[in-house]
Amino acid sequence: MNVLKVSKATIAVFVLPCLLLYVCLVFVPILVSMYSSTLDWNGIGTSTFIGLDNFKHMFTADPVFWPSVKRTLMFALFSMLEIPLALMLAILLNRYIKRPNFLVSSYFMPVILSVVIIGQLWKTIYNPASMGGMLNQVLITFGLESWTHSWLTEPKVAMYALYFVALWQYLGYHLLIQFTGIQNIPAEIYEAAKIDGADGFKADRYITFPMVVPIFKISVVLAFIGSLQSFDMIMVMTGGGPAHATDVIATHMYNMSFLSMKYGYGSALATFLVVLCLSATILINTLFRRVENKLS
Amino acid sequence: MAKSSKVLTTVLAGVMALSLAACGNGNNAATNNGGTDNAGKDNTTTNTGGNKASDEKITITFQNIYPDPNTPSARTLNKIVGDYEAAHPNIKIELDSLNTDQQKIKLKTQAASQEVPDITIVNPKAQMKPYVDAGLLAPLNDMLDQNGLKDTFQQGILDFYSFDNNVYAVPDGNNVAVVYYNKELFEQAGVKIPATFEEMVETVKTLKSKGIQPMVIGEKDTWTGSFLFMNVLLRTSGPGFLQDIMDKKKTFEDPAFVEAVDAFQNLVQAGAFQEGATSMDYNAGENLFKTGKAAMYFMGSWATGSIDDSSVKGKVGVFKFPTVNGKGNPDEFMLAPGSAFAVSAKSDHLQETKDFLNYFMTNYPKVKFENKDAVGVAQKVDGDFAAAGYSDLAVEINGMFSGVKGGDLSFDNTMNPATSQEHLTAIQNLFVQKTDAKEVAKQHQTAFDANNQ
Repeated sequence: MNVLKVSKATIAVFVLPCLLLYVCLVFVPILVSMYSSTLDWNGIGTSTFIGLDNFKHMFTADPVFWPSVKRTLMFALFSMLEIPLALMLAILLNRYIKRPNFLVSSYFMPVILSVVIIGQLWKTIYNPASMGGMLNQVLITFGLESWTHSWLTEPKVAMYALYFVALWQYLGYHLLIQFTGIQNIPAEIYEAAKIDGADGFKADRYITFPMVVPIFKISVVLAFIGSLQSFDMIMVMTGGGPAHATDVIATHMYNMSFLSMKYGYGSALATFLVVLCLSATILINTLFRRVENKLS
Repeated sequence: MAKSSKVLTTVLAGVMALSLAACGNGNNAATNNGGTDNAGKDNTTTNTGGNKASDEKITITFQNIYPDPNTPSARTLNKIVGDYEAAHPNIKIELDSLNTDQQKIKLKTQAASQEVPDITIVNPKAQMKPYVDAGLLAPLNDMLDQNGLKDTFQQGILDFYSFDNNVYAVPDGNNVAVVYYNKELFEQAGVKIPATFEEMVETVKTLKSKGIQPMVIGEKDTWTGSFLFMNVLLRTSGPGFLQDIMDKKKTFEDPAFVEAVDAFQNLVQAGAFQEGATSMDYNAGENLFKTGKAAMYFMGSWATGSIDDSSVKGKVGVFKFPTVNGKGNPDEFMLAPGSAFAVSAKSDHLQETKDFLNYFMTNYPKVKFENKDAVGVAQKVDGDFAAAGYSDLAVEINGMFSGVKGGDLSFDNTMNPATSQEHLTAIQNLFVQKTDAKEVAKQHQTAFDANNQ
């Protein structure tokens, strides 16, 4: 700081407006909902303070809660699967395609589409064959009739169908992030490595991977946190149904707060989700610090 | 790689275009049903409502659930509001038009911060009770006495919006549940209107064997299946079952409830409903019927208008929900008193708002009738439907209203929201897996006990 010769007041002037906005829009609501989570409140009328009863009910008596936590975590794990894939694709694009920008943008397209459109699109793809579902029609064309499912309404497969849509949607996003990361690695390094005899996969192992780790970390954190909060796509496609089979924490929270009108209980679920996201972020950061130390 | 990506892009673009086209259909759901006879009519009664002639500029916020300006409901709203503003230059009615789900959420959010709009929409009984209990809604008894408004309503309908002898909202509709059927498809399969529920299950099987989709339902919305299930329950138990539960005279483990679950499952297991019903929303389900892809559709009579506006117009008939195991009276219906207009107790212009709402409701049936949308209005409508050019279906349903011998409200209008949600989920589950009826009953009772302490 001394190098820059900037007074603390100046720093404050530049940082405070944004910080205040951030605090008001992020921290205050979190605190408010933490407070609400100790209430028995329908969101409208009078409320009574019940301490930690909401949490007690959540952890011990709510039959939907733990399965929805499991599905949320599964969602997060599945979303991590695509990141190595995105990295591979990014490396391939970077190496073998002359003008990769067009491809990268087309992979990116699902990300900028509205989730509602994506939901409707995949709903029609997943429809049963009798309703003209594309996926099932394709399976039947190839003689794989036994593979057909009513993808979104069979409790056992519905959740996997949803995971897949999320993978499809965000592949381009992670691809773009890592592609940019790879492009930032100076070409000279590769040239030097080539002279030393490191080419192809070897170059990736000793140059690309270590240098792309910080970017990789961003991808992982974004994918993990993003899928913990997954809500809109599920809401559009199944609404958490059939019979809670696709409920994750966020949809359960919504249903509790706004449909069952247990606003206090919904806030307790929200608080749990915040804590889960924060600890996941810390965990991932710690893990990556170790990996980075090892690699560098 | 470059070449295959082009192919991929083209395929994706094609899929997207198709799906957009498919979405487009959904929007036709309820457009334009009343024809274009609205133009140039300004013969609405000139009841000027209030007796104050103040010059003060007043804005009244009017939250409503008629967002699509092409629907007859929205045309009725705009006509009356326009007339009122013309007669009262100092008053501006600001419309906040939202679709049903958005409005429900918005009102809840507004209520949490005590900022209910001057006029808003609530649903009957249990659904509006939290707002009444929180003192957010103004009693409308005095407003109903003005200009004889109270007498325009059908007998008993206001009870659904009354608490402790105060009326807190005035309804825009009063409907009953019926079964619509496609006459052409029935003829094709050689089936007749089923006289009993058991015949209905047989009809379903026959239709299915002929390759015709027997029934459709938009079960993603969950209330749709519950509405049908409750009609079965109304037959097996007679009216007032949920009230008996709340009065602790019965439990959900009552034989009538178990019988209803079993009967309902028979219908589902016979393959009555389209595959993937639980991921299809209300509009998508209704569209299947309106495009002639299904033979039967169980719904509130409010669907009449949009069915008459679709490609199956003229091919659709209607029948009462039949008896189940020989029990019940087909003249008892699932009653659906409509969403209703309520006034904020904390409105800055309470008197002006009431005056406006009085004017609005006094003119409502007349303008609705002119817009060919008066089937299922909660008020008495003067005029001959057949002579005014309403469809046979509309006339038939309108005639059905006079034969209604009571019935029951939907589950979510009767029980508190938390219990209702558990019920809705349990019924949705029956669409995807066969469940022991006793287990369903027990689950209901547990939910009821947990949420009604």
